[in-house]
Amino acid sequence: MDYVILSLVILAIGIYGLLTNRQLIKVFISIELIAIGATLNFVMLTTSLGQGLGQAYLILAFSTDTAVSAVILALLVIVSKRYGTSDISKIIKQIGEKPESEAESQ
Amino acid sequence: MILEILSIGMIISACLALFLDEVVYSVAAFSGTFLFTALLYAVSGSVYAAIFQFAVGVGTLAILFLSGEMLSDKPVKKTSPEKLAALLGIGVVLSLPAIFLSVSSSGGTVSVSTASFGDALWSLNGLDVVLQALVILTVALGVAIILYERRRGVQ
Repeated sequence: MDYVILSLVILAIGIYGLLTNRQLIKVFISIELIAIGATLNFVMLTTSLGQGLGQAYLILAFSTDTAVSAVILALLVIVSKRYGTSDISKIIKQIGEKPESEAESQ
Repeated sequence: MILEILSIGMIISACLALFLDEVVYSVAAFSGTFLFTALLYAVSGSVYAAIFQFAVGVGTLAILFLSGEMLSDKPVKKTSPEKLAALLGIGVVLSLPAIFLSVSSSGGTVSVSTASFGDALWSLNGLDVVLQALVILTVALGVAIILYERRRGVQ
């Protein structure tokens, strides 16, 4: 059982989801998966070395991750309310259809 | 054996979270990823990490359920059993490398000084923790001020 490979697989799944999904919530879940992969690697590596340092860094990583998640979710709700959908391709299409003067004023 | 089962569950739930059609089901599957990660930490001896993972996971999932229900486009199409079975199979296949392969380092032994969790958090990282708390407080105040100004602008 190798945790480096496990965290790499989780990281790869997250990056693949980030590149292929068109739903904003799923993009957010992909970002969370990438964060889980990174922290899993760090914690399991330092635990196998018999250190508590990884767990201490995990707390720092969680606080940053939570702040980032709050900002992402706030932006996600604002974008969804403004454009009426959470599909990225539809949002891009709506932005493309707007006149330039209206887009500049926003 | 239990670690392998937990890692398989973690990868399967991650695959389901990303590729199920219904957003609420995705969030439910994502709760499995958080749960399996916390159990993996607990079984491998990182009890503090497991507790924090579980606590942060519960908060994130509550927000995700609310926003997922609010933002999902209705009506939704149901996931077919074939797609569900394919996702389960992909999850099992993706978890096989983590179980059967290993990464070996050729650089020899790594010399590390063992530090307990309390030492690592307060003696080695005390300044980091305090500075990060300041950064998060600044972010929270910034978001609150922006929302207040927007509200005043609307009124």
